Amino acid sequence: MVFSSVIFLFRFLPIFLICYFAAPRRMKNIVLFLGSLFFYAWGEPIYILLMLFSTVVDYVNGRLIERCRGSRRAVIPLAASVVINVAVLCLFKYSDFLIGTVNDLAGTSLPLLQLPLPIGISFYTFQTMSYTIDVYRGDAKVQKNILDFGVYVSMFPQLIAGPIVKYRDVSEQLHDRPVDLYAVSHGAGRFCIGLAKKVLLANSIGMLWTDVSGRNYQEISMLTAWLGIIAFAFQIYFDFSGYSDMAIGLGEILGFHFPENFRYPYISASVTEFWRRWHISLGSWFREYVYIPLGGNRKGLPRQLVNILLVWMLTGIWHGAGWNFLFWGLWFAFLLVLEKLFLGKVLSWLPRIAGILYTLVTVLIGWVLFAVETPSGILGYIRAMAGVGGLIDGNALYLAGEYYILLLIALAASTPIPRMLAERLQQKKTSPCIAVCRLGEKVIPAALLVLAIAGIVEGSYNPFLYFRF
Amino acid sequence: MSNKNNAIFTIAVLASVILIFTVADLFRGDRIFSETENRLLAQRPEFSAEELLSGSYTSDYEKYVTDQFVGRDKWIYVKTKTDVLLQKKEINGVYLGEDGYLIEQHLPQDYTDGQVDKRLALLEPLIEEWDAAVMLVPTADNILTNKLPANAPYYDERELLERAAQLAGEDRYVDVYAALREHRGEEIYYRTDHHWTSLGAYYGYQAWLETTGMRPYPYDVENMRTVDREFLGTLQSKINLNWKPDSIRYFPETAKGPIKVTYDLQRETDTIYEEDYLNTKNKYGFFLDDNHAFVEIDTPYRLDKTLFVLKDSYANSFIPLMMPHYQKIYVVDLRYYNGKLFDLMEQCEPEKGMDVLVLYNCIHFLEDFDYR
Repeated sequence: MVFSSVIFLFRFLPIFLICYFAAPRRMKNIVLFLGSLFFYAWGEPIYILLMLFSTVVDYVNGRLIERCRGSRRAVIPLAASVVINVAVLCLFKYSDFLIGTVNDLAGTSLPLLQLPLPIGISFYTFQTMSYTIDVYRGDAKVQKNILDFGVYVSMFPQLIAGPIVKYRDVSEQLHDRPVDLYAVSHGAGRFCIGLAKKVLLANSIGMLWTDVSGRNYQEISMLTAWLGIIAFAFQIYFDFSGYSDMAIGLGEILGFHFPENFRYPYISASVTEFWRRWHISLGSWFREYVYIPLGGNRKGLPRQLVNILLVWMLTGIWHGAGWNFLFWGLWFAFLLVLEKLFLGKVLSWLPRIAGILYTLVTVLIGWVLFAVETPSGILGYIRAMAGVGGLIDGNALYLAGEYYILLLIALAASTPIPRMLAERLQQKKTSPCIAVCRLGEKVIPAALLVLAIAGIVEGSYNPFLYFRF
Repeated sequence: MSNKNNAIFTIAVLASVILIFTVADLFRGDRIFSETENRLLAQRPEFSAEELLSGSYTSDYEKYVTDQFVGRDKWIYVKTKTDVLLQKKEINGVYLGEDGYLIEQHLPQDYTDGQVDKRLALLEPLIEEWDAAVMLVPTADNILTNKLPANAPYYDERELLERAAQLAGEDRYVDVYAALREHRGEEIYYRTDHHWTSLGAYYGYQAWLETTGMRPYPYDVENMRTVDREFLGTLQSKINLNWKPDSIRYFPETAKGPIKVTYDLQRETDTIYEEDYLNTKNKYGFFLDDNHAFVEIDTPYRLDKTLFVLKDSYANSFIPLMMPHYQKIYVVDLRYYNGKLFDLMEQCEPEKGMDVLVLYNCIHFLEDFDYR
């Protein structure tokens, strides 16, 4: 089930929330667990067993680590947890990619497994691994209640598209959490804003990318190519950050505090900064559980560069089992290494706007690798962006005319400017300002909700972008 | 208002939006067909364990809930209005053109040379064995180019027409394109529907006269009869915005004298115009009772000449104009006719032979023209 659907908004959500708030405090986890299982099973009736398997395995591994606490044997359940999670991920996500690669290289024709990818698998395996690793390191207490642990793994708000919540961030709240009116009201507003980002911005602007990407790249002009990839950049940002907003908002309604996942990535003045603002929960996961254990920056520059390379290859293929995702990761590794070596210094001398432009251009080229997928397509597209097919044609002007208002709205919405304006208004203590704020707080989310419902019901274009994650 | 009340109020507003529509949705009845979208709506899927495990039950159920959602038409209207506010000139495959013209969108990438080859190959035997005249009518986007939104892409039908002209030869190819282009300032297409008007069909008729060398019947363009002023056609349905309606007109000369029309060998009537359709949404069905697999027309003109037309719905407003030239007109719509075409033609052909005419709009020709 996805959030931007009639079935979620007008069936699952009201019924679930009524049950959840009607239930006494000690029963809330049962309601949340059963609700989450239903939510997941709706889209993955078979693979729910895989998720439950993963839950039980890491619950047991956590208990075993605790039992072996102080002895060297504790590493065995830890290793078991990591190996099993990685193996599950490899089997369901990467097996056909690996088999295909072997076939290509060795000229064999091993049959592909053709297993459909379980939704959210990359999110929940990473979450449960963070649990066993934290328990092993002593950063988190072992969870003895399997229901509380099951709630952590299966919790529907962040189950299928993140953010990747580390166990220790929510361990207290898993056990007991009060209902807080302010959090509920804030979370509900946040959910509406996330829904609007997904339905009104991402879906609408995604149609521009769908149009451009379906064409012959030899025949598109430079302006068309840039419009197309800018549209994709907005689409994936508003889609992904919209999902995160919805997850965080739903979490707040239920009494959880999830970490922020996006902080206006497109105003970054370097690629290093971009990755501190984009999909923050994934970046921090890799930093904490891969980069730092590998030695991070503490073992000399050459080692640090290798570590960056490794982490960004993994980050790349985390987004999908394909060569293009690997190259996408390597492209960022390359830029990050350059920034570490000298480019970062150069950028710090230049005005911030130069850094922003450099980051936007390199990130957009990154999105070409991400979104186009075939090597010939990627090259063709980048040539079109370079102006090989002409600078401007009628078609580009038509597309610009169809989408310029939406692009301007998206541009404004991807900067902190709207938020800053709202905050400035709030700080003014005059009574009309307070009234406007109070009204806006209610009217804007409600209006966005209604418009988003219209977009969902009309439903001509409502893709789920993370089916490869 | 205290902070606490403020929070409660926010929750109440958002919760009531969700709850009101949830409850309203639980109390609505299912619809089979959506007139505004002109399509069948998804129905409640039957439950089976197998479908549940494969995931198709839940996805069908989602389609059902979305299609049947309370106030669906109004939600779509809200969405369309938002698109208009965003200055979109294309909505749901329809261009919002100049002067209130809605023009159906046909993208160049959707039509291939292979398709053209295939359809022309099917046309060839009709030309060679039956000496068929060919009338391919360009769609509005190719004629009313000055009314399209600036730089709007459209499939250019000229190459198809040139190849059809070559194949048919001068004596058989009716150059509707030139005729319509010449009169593109007049109301030759409906503003809210994808068909040509009776006036457009009349210019097509003139082009046909030119090709065949027949003597023109003196239709009076100044005295066309208006039968309906509230026609909102298929294109208005697709965008579902309030729009200025079209008028449906016809040449009164075509309703003179004793006529016998037989639909699908069953129903006989004495008129080619069905006024009942004017009370439905599909008012274009006024012409020749909408679409039938096989129609036989006995005209009031004793000329001992027969015409056999292979056609789409564009022909429905054109065929009336042909009556003064033939005593008998057979009309076949290949989308609904399943028999062997040439067998039927042999059965229909009188000893003296008959004229054959293929009349399609270019897009229907590329998408639908096919026979056994």
